[in-house]
Amino acid sequence: MNLKNILILMMLLFSSSLFAQNVTGNISDADNFPLIGATVIVKGTTTGTTTDIDGNYSIAAPEGSTLVISYTGYATQEVVVGPGGTVNLTLADDAELLGEVVVVGYGSRKKSDITGAVSSVKSEELTAFPILDAAQALQGRAAGVDIQSNNGGEPGAPVAIRIRGNTSINASSSPLIVVDGFVGATMPQPNDIASLEVLKDASATAIYGSRGSNGVVLVTTKKGQNGKLNVELNSTYSVQNTANALDLLNADEFADYQNQIRTNQGNSTPFSQGAFDTDWQDLIYQAGNTQNHQLSFSGGTDKVNFYASGNYFDQRGIVVNSGFERGTFLSNLDAQVTDKLKLGVNLFGSRGFKEGVATQSDGSVTVGGDDVISLAMRFAPDKPIQDENGNFTTNDAIGDEVDNPYAVATQRIDETITDNFRANVYGNYEIVKNLSFKTTFGMSSRNENRGIYQPSTLQITASAVDGRARVANAKRTSLLSENYLTYDAPIGNGNLTLLGGYSYQRNDTKAFAAAGTGFLSDAFSYHALGTATGLLQPASSLSEVEILSQFGRVNYDFNNRLLLTATVRRDGASNFAANNKFAIFPSAAIGWKVFSEDFLDNSQTISGLKLRASYGVTGNPSIAPFQSLARFASLYASSEGQTVFAITPDQPANPDLRWESSFQTNFGADIGFVNNRFNLTVDLYNINTRDLILGNNGIPEYFGFASDEILTNLGEINNRGLEISLNTRNIVKNNFKWSTDLNFSTNRNQVVALINDADFFGNAAPSYFSHDRSYVLRVGEEVGLFWGFDYAGVYQGGDFPEGTATLAGGVPGDPLFRDIPDEDGMTDGSITEADRTIIGNPNPDFIFGLNNTFSFGGVDLNIFFQGSQGGDIFNMTNVQLHNGDANTTRDYFNNAWTASNTDTDQPRVGNNSNREISSRFVEDGSYIRLKNVALGYNLPADLIGNIGVQNIRLAVSAQNLLTFTNYSGLDPEVNYFGASGDNNTSSNTVRGFDFGNYPTVRSVTFNLNVRF
Amino acid sequence: MKNLKYLFLIIGISVFSCSDLLEEPVGLLAPEGFFQSTADIQTAVDGAFTHAINEKFWGRKLSIALMLRSDMVNLQSDQTRRVEHNEFTTLANNGMITEFWLKTYQGIAGANLAIAGAEAVDADIAAKNPVTAQAYFIRAFYYFHLVRQFGAVPYVDAPITDAEAAGSISRTSADEVYANIISDLEFAKQWLPNTQSSRAIPAKSSASAYLALVHLTRGNYQAAYDEAKEIIDNAGVYDLALEPDFQNLFDANAIDASKEPIFALDYNNFEAPNNAYDQIAPMTGIRGDDRNEGGGWSVAVPTLAVYETWDAGDYRRAVSMDDEASIGGVVVDFTQFDISGHEHAANWPYIAKYTRFPGAFDRGNARATSHNYSMIRYAEVLLIAAEAAVELGDNASATDFINQVRARARMGGVTQTGAGTTVTVAPGAVPADITGTVTVADVLEERRLELAFEGKRWYDIARRRIGNEVFNASGLEGEKPEFNDDDYLMPLPEDELERNPNLTQNPGY
Repeated sequence: MNLKNILILMMLLFSSSLFAQNVTGNISDADNFPLIGATVIVKGTTTGTTTDIDGNYSIAAPEGSTLVISYTGYATQEVVVGPGGTVNLTLADDAELLGEVVVVGYGSRKKSDITGAVSSVKSEELTAFPILDAAQALQGRAAGVDIQSNNGGEPGAPVAIRIRGNTSINASSSPLIVVDGFVGATMPQPNDIASLEVLKDASATAIYGSRGSNGVVLVTTKKGQNGKLNVELNSTYSVQNTANALDLLNADEFADYQNQIRTNQGNSTPFSQGAFDTDWQDLIYQAGNTQNHQLSFSGGTDKVNFYASGNYFDQRGIVVNSGFERGTFLSNLDAQVTDKLKLGVNLFGSRGFKEGVATQSDGSVTVGGDDVISLAMRFAPDKPIQDENGNFTTNDAIGDEVDNPYAVATQRIDETITDNFRANVYGNYEIVKNLSFKTTFGMSSRNENRGIYQPSTLQITASAVDGRARVANAKRTSLLSENYLTYDAPIGNGNLTLLGGYSYQRNDTKAFAAAGTGFLSDAFSYHALGTATGLLQPASSLSEVEILSQFGRVNYDFNNRLLLTATVRRDGASNFAANNKFAIFPSAAIGWKVFSEDFLDNSQTISGLKLRASYGVTGNPSIAPFQSLARFASLYASSEGQTVFAITPDQPANPDLRWESSFQTNFGADIGFVNNRFNLTVDLYNINTRDLILGNNGIPEYFGFASDEILTNLGEINNRGLEISLNTRNIVKNNFKWSTDLNFSTNRNQVVALINDADFFGNAAPSYFSHDRSYVLRVGEEVGLFWGFDYAGVYQGGDFPEGTATLAGGVPGDPLFRDIPDEDGMTDGSITEADRTIIGNPNPDFIFGLNNTFSFGGVDLNIFFQGSQGGDIFNMTNVQLHNGDANTTRDYFNNAWTASNTDTDQPRVGNNSNREISSRFVEDGSYIRLKNVALGYNLPADLIGNIGVQNIRLAVSAQNLLTFTNYSGLDPEVNYFGASGDNNTSSNTVRGFDFGNYPTVRSVTFNLNVRF
Repeated sequence: MKNLKYLFLIIGISVFSCSDLLEEPVGLLAPEGFFQSTADIQTAVDGAFTHAINEKFWGRKLSIALMLRSDMVNLQSDQTRRVEHNEFTTLANNGMITEFWLKTYQGIAGANLAIAGAEAVDADIAAKNPVTAQAYFIRAFYYFHLVRQFGAVPYVDAPITDAEAAGSISRTSADEVYANIISDLEFAKQWLPNTQSSRAIPAKSSASAYLALVHLTRGNYQAAYDEAKEIIDNAGVYDLALEPDFQNLFDANAIDASKEPIFALDYNNFEAPNNAYDQIAPMTGIRGDDRNEGGGWSVAVPTLAVYETWDAGDYRRAVSMDDEASIGGVVVDFTQFDISGHEHAANWPYIAKYTRFPGAFDRGNARATSHNYSMIRYAEVLLIAAEAAVELGDNASATDFINQVRARARMGGVTQTGAGTTVTVAPGAVPADITGTVTVADVLEERRLELAFEGKRWYDIARRRIGNEVFNASGLEGEKPEFNDDDYLMPLPEDELERNPNLTQNPGY
């Protein structure tokens, strides 16, 4: 790293100008608190400095020149240098003076003029600790936004974002991501983000029409500032550990456990214990680390400004052989070409390399054979890693014969390379005063290439076929052209803003996959499919979507009291069904700045009050490309003894299918107290989502279609909720500051209508669990409730306790389940399918985030808690571990019912419940987590001034240091998605299942930030 | 610079103005434009035919249900859905009916697709109709199964485009369904060639043979006789003859060269992911049997009476049944078949037609075999002709045709037991020619033995309505107290009635 050279270069280029006096002064805020690190620039030059720890500065500036003083969160001020050579200044909070500006769709508004529900997340919050995806930083930061990793702490795992609950059952509930105006873009990396806004209500999102119903995340990347060149280096290094491991039996205990099972099951052959004692969890976990380095350059002149950055992220996972590496660049250039014309270009590119390790088995490879985490929990501890012949051992004594976790972790190759590129150019032309035209043209491309190889050293999964390789490639391209006029002028006593435009977007996805078995050598990995002796069927596909839209918005601000907003968007989309090609999405909102009314003039406590109300309709592009068309299915057929492909009718055309629509009402209030030292925002919302697309299997079978479902718009769900954000500046003393950000959100979700209002059952369990029903959708209930038997304790012998029974053949020690009375109130004294019932609700009652920031002198301390209350978890890991054909937890083994330990709620080992889903495995998943605690120190200015550095900041932080929970599994933040079929990464209905997740990591992070 | 704003406008407009938002599915199988040539019709035809080999149709569910409902095959398993067929306690939610009901209609939808698609193909009738005729044939084949199982059924003869209208149709009467079957078969007969490269592709004689059986089932004996007689008289033209060695009819490696099958299903030892393969061998096989990589599952097993009442000298018994097997390396006769220790093992001779020579198979227990099962073969045409002749009072013809079948059986042949012991049956006297007057009962009895375990017997019992005779105490399976006349038709699937309330249920369900 030749940082030193860059440094010297900077100093040479941007040292002070010659004919200048020395101007000194002090910069403070409204509370007389010194502002450390405020930027002071001599306007029109590259001369600049920053304030020190006491808010003092010194700069060479000729008399009569203008100083530009800026500080994040405060209004930038310009002061002409007088003859005295001293300029002291008090900076006003941005929101107070000019009004913080919030980005909205196709424009921006002053925060004080916003009529919709919008949460803003600051750049510092996004970079408080190292993360791969900026979405992760939203967790606990914005009311109404629920973030879940799809696979715990897996490097490179995607993140699920839910804004105001699930608005769909089958379609995606993920919000639309808009980056610098590019709709449907890849999230940039956190250090490049200047601001991130979450649009929540219809007033804010309806301008995005058929893609707005899940909320919109608007991301604005950093731009260069007029003035001196800024060079910033930001480096973090984290060391990481698994936050938790299960307490499992060692080899001796395991043999004891197996022998007890055999005794209980009437098997007199003793368990033959192996000579080893292996801690499989210990073998697959390692200390991980993450490093993230970012170097950015920004600056500009009156006419041109630029921002350019490069970023390198590298994570070594805490499970051996897992990791993620990514390089990113971003460049923004804006040029005021003439008085009227502005041109700009944004460029973004990244390459990610993910080294995957198999977790969250879906049971599809072999019986439970490919999932390192759950294998490490279940695998017999009395086995060595390798047998005497050097072969990896398999779990051949009990349960399914599976490969050992160490072998799967170290032998299996799973690599994904993802390239992203995006270019966006724009031109903005002021046609006449107050009227401007903006056109943008952008293109993005995402290319994902994944290769998997299971070498022949994997005894169960790949040895018999001499290796199995698979290569898959998906390329997505998107073209976007948007053109709109903006008119902004005072009219009468108010201000009118009009927006009108049209847009065209085209998204193509091409995918290809091929696989083979039988390779000469494992050394080929997945790179030599051509040498496979067994070729598996290749697949390719193409999907195309075109969206054509017109949109418009009216904002009228009357007398700084009444705010009116109305938007409309008309979307036409190729994937919409033939008879419903176009859709119109309107919204309207009203805001009343009560504080501007005379009657609040004398209030001492209330320093700001705005009331908001909005209503609007947004859509979910829930119809997949070609989904409404009649289709054939291909099938294997036989012709003259040869297998050939033939066709059969798959589904009829569905020309009347409609997109899903959300009708949302929002009431909100923004209140400031005591000179805006306390700011409270409260929002109440109600979202009815209608026309949900459900597969209706009520089509007669005599139609003869291969697909047994026809899509219908028969579902409806409702989400209601309350969101509260409170920011307080508790202490604002000269050398000590304490501020608190609290956000709280609660969402109630209810199924309103289903096909014939009949219960809909789904399965989230891995395929070898052989349950076909693990969750239910029922009218009047929340989405995704757990479904199973209601556990009623341990059978102690004699008559079953009233209203309970065991499964067939139960003996003392076996589990009792509630025998649900039928419609006539009768019980049948046995446990049958009819006794399955709702046994848990994974949806939390509320989620919250609490952030406290303290600063004293150059030191700042940030403590961030985040939590979730009231959601249940179905612990499928324990279903597996309590089943007898695997290792188990010490807790279960020690507490299980025996003839001498009858006072327990844990049934005997080797009982007859055989992987049944029951409330015995439903646990409270509430937690409070110390998500981040960070201590930072800004080096004193006099120490670093000499080396030409503006600021040096050192920080140490810890993530996931403490978690308060009663959940017995590895981590309460779970999101099992492994079972093939109806649950996947974007599922709305599968929630709260825990099985073989990559564990959440605990990390300690060191951070260095240098600004030159 | 002034012109820049116009430049932007032009860029913006030109990009978007060319789209009409119509979807053109590429890489998908969509109806638009699919049918271009006769080869495309054949692709749809292949799809229609392949539903028949499926596990849910002949591969297991239907073939086993038909066996169990007959008096020739008893049930050794205790699975409810099977018990319901064997004991005539069938419920409308029977798990086998729902599956072959669906599969049959998928086959019909495939045929409808081919027939409708053919109209879009711009080719000479002489070129495309012989292909389309296969679709007509298989549609008739499927509806013939349906109408015999359920009587009146929803009749669909075109691709469904209006789901709402099609979802509320009523059952079409059996008479009308039969009329449509006959019409389809007449079309097929007109356009199919005299011979095909494989017996799994219907030829003219396939349509004729089914027409004969349809007419026989309807009691149109003259028409049945005429159709059958036409085939017999032109056996050379159609390349048909009785197979000299009866065993070859049930040998996957020999059957394809035989002249006897008229229409067969095309199994090709591939365990297709869509279940297009057979499991009849394991269903009828002996538990613990050393053959077929894991033996059988002992589900569909004849009662001892079937074996004992069958003349031991009849070569067909030696071919049709296994009375000896090697179980766990021990060669035992049928009285010790339970040495496997399995709860469902029976000490009776087992069906041998599927397990003895299944040919190559893709999965253990002889699942997914290459055995092309005959759906109709020349011997049956002779027996159709004989039965029709009896009804028409033509005893000379009846005697001639039935005795041709018995004569072939008398020729004997070389086969082997379930344990691999070679069994040579020299040409002999059993079964002797029938002399004097041939009765309907004679022909039915001949059909019972000649076509034993081939899924034909139940339909014979039903069309002749002889349930009360064969299911009484003196029947082969003893008294079946639950049997009554309503059982000649099965119940329509209960959930299908829920999906279309205009469908009615058969009496007795």
